[in-house]
Amino acid sequence: MYSRHAGLTYIVPAFALLGLVLFSPVFYGFWFSLFRIQYGAPTDFIGLGNFLRLLDDPALGGTLTRSTVFTFFAVALTVAIALALAVWIHKLGERRGFAVQMIVIVPWIISTVVATLLFRWVFVNDIGLALSLARWAGFGDIRLLNDPTSAMALLIGVSVWKRIGYAVIILLAGLKSIPEDLEEAARIDGATGWQVFRRITLPLLKTPLLLVTIVLTLSNLNTVETPLVLTGGGPGNATRILPMEIFDRAFVAYDLGSATALALVMFIGNILLVLAYVRLAKWKT
Amino acid sequence: MLRRFGLSAALACAVAALGGAGPALAQETTVRMWTFLNPTGTSPREVALAKIIDNFEAANPDIDIVVEPQAWDQMTPKFLAAHTSGTAPDVIWVVTDFLGDAINSGSLASLNDLFVKDWSEDQVADRAGPYWDLTNVDGTQHALFTSRNYIAIMYRKDLFAEAGIDPATITTWDKLVEVAKKLTVKDSAGQVSRYGFVQGFSENQADPPLMIPYLVGKGAELFSEDGKANFASPEGVDGLTLQTDLITRHGVMPESAVSWTVDDVYEQFASDRAAMILGASVRVSTLQSQLGKDKVGLMLWPGSGQQEHSPAVMAGWAVGVWSKSQVAEQAGEFVEYMLGPDGDKAWVEIGGQSPGLGSTLDHLGDFANQPGNEYLRVVSTGSAKHGWLAPIEYSIGGYRQILNKAAQNVVVNGADPKQALEEAGAEFNRSHNR
Repeated sequence: MYSRHAGLTYIVPAFALLGLVLFSPVFYGFWFSLFRIQYGAPTDFIGLGNFLRLLDDPALGGTLTRSTVFTFFAVALTVAIALALAVWIHKLGERRGFAVQMIVIVPWIISTVVATLLFRWVFVNDIGLALSLARWAGFGDIRLLNDPTSAMALLIGVSVWKRIGYAVIILLAGLKSIPEDLEEAARIDGATGWQVFRRITLPLLKTPLLLVTIVLTLSNLNTVETPLVLTGGGPGNATRILPMEIFDRAFVAYDLGSATALALVMFIGNILLVLAYVRLAKWKT
Repeated sequence: MLRRFGLSAALACAVAALGGAGPALAQETTVRMWTFLNPTGTSPREVALAKIIDNFEAANPDIDIVVEPQAWDQMTPKFLAAHTSGTAPDVIWVVTDFLGDAINSGSLASLNDLFVKDWSEDQVADRAGPYWDLTNVDGTQHALFTSRNYIAIMYRKDLFAEAGIDPATITTWDKLVEVAKKLTVKDSAGQVSRYGFVQGFSENQADPPLMIPYLVGKGAELFSEDGKANFASPEGVDGLTLQTDLITRHGVMPESAVSWTVDDVYEQFASDRAAMILGASVRVSTLQSQLGKDKVGLMLWPGSGQQEHSPAVMAGWAVGVWSKSQVAEQAGEFVEYMLGPDGDKAWVEIGGQSPGLGSTLDHLGDFANQPGNEYLRVVSTGSAKHGWLAPIEYSIGGYRQILNKAAQNVVVNGADPKQALEEAGAEFNRSHNR
């Protein structure tokens, strides 16, 4: 016999599990952040004291700016290069296309720590390949990690290299889903290659592009391994971004109160980004 | 029904039979331990740990030691968080920077209650010294030290011999610079192929920088009594200037050092790219196994004018039993064995560590006098007379990283050393809510 509540009973276990795994740490974290934390345990209730301490930190504004710059350039470059690669691979034959896909995807499947260490060995020390090549090419001693701007550029470069495989796969799937007759019809009507791409391909790639942009934004905004292993946040504070700030507050200074508060602020930022994605996706359909 | 009864009866008989078997089938107790060493590894310390565990388990077949290796620089904060959540391991290795937090949080059981109460006066006296005192608060022993780390100057004996330099002549900071210059070598293209003295300034994996022995040797304090940073004292400014001058003025340290971690420095040392480094005594055995025993030595810091040798930062790992462990008794048995006479002997002989017990070197005869093992005497003398231990009355986590950042700011951004240290001090105080 059909019950009106049968559907509900099917989804309750899944929602309960999701609530337990996804939301309970957030609620616990929020409760935790309202207390003075001593030796990892909550003591006195201080309300929003931990959040207000964040406002008193004069260095946090710079960290937020660097996080924005890093995320913006890392996402923009990844999407631009991935789009170009996806279009190119799409035009290659099946075998060659598959081979290039495999090459592009390798950095994505390597552990972030290992991938970043590879870059460190190439760029960081005096016997690294990058310095040898620079000397061979007559550029003298180039030490990318010693200069604030080039260290940030390198951090962005590593992030682009690491995540480009994911973006290429999603965009390639999007390209393959576009009916060929649409582009063919445009060409018959006399459209140039660029016009076909701009007027037909790009608009039909909007959803995968949006998905890639949001996922990459969240991924870059929350990355801690790459700056931690590659630069340690230096030189000075040049590559210190928000996730690393949270990590250092929690595991170096052992200030769990402000680390939790900052993590919650970032969590809210992430939620807002996801909402923006949902809203934009809705607008598209 | 009858069938179910028959099954129950058979089960009951089996249980009774097992019960009768008694001690022969006694349940094995698992003791979890967090350490940065992996007993399946091949470094001398890891081999020593594996040997100690094997010996202990052979003598105690009802206790199973399970090691859960951790990243060394994150292990203690993770332990403190696990203590709060009730999931900490039974045996923990606590890094010196967080020892105060670990003791004050009540996360470490009293070792007096577990085994120290049964020790003779001689056994206690065998451990006497600054490490014992540091872990003893109001008469309660919270941990015992192992992997005692004396962070001083590691040097290449072969390169010193080649240059005709006696390490004993480095008696002042000026002489250290002078020798570092002599040991800095350029190739035919004018590129430096070997640096005289190197330390890493990355915030990732930071060892205590050279400026600490310098300023402590001059009689200054790194922290004030209330736990606030006292980095920008005149001695601190001089110390930071000295260590950054090694790069910018004397050219005996590469500029790349601002982004080097501790491991990068050891790699440079092992690949003949550095003659002297700021090095930890616990790493000597590993480097000797790579380069040869006759090539790696350890020396004390130069004197300050006031003292024969400036105090080296002493660190290490305080091993304790988690206060909420359900198997504290067995965990205590293992800690007592691991750091007792047999364990200590293995740490020294196999692991190449400095001894935790005064009697160990005596029992090992002329082991410390054998070629390559002289550094054990250096650590022993240094720890007794020329050492500095970080305070545990207040939390000091992050001070090494912040001091390294100050050095980066001087070298890369051209900051004034005093200003860089004042900013570092303000950041330290802010991060500790002081």
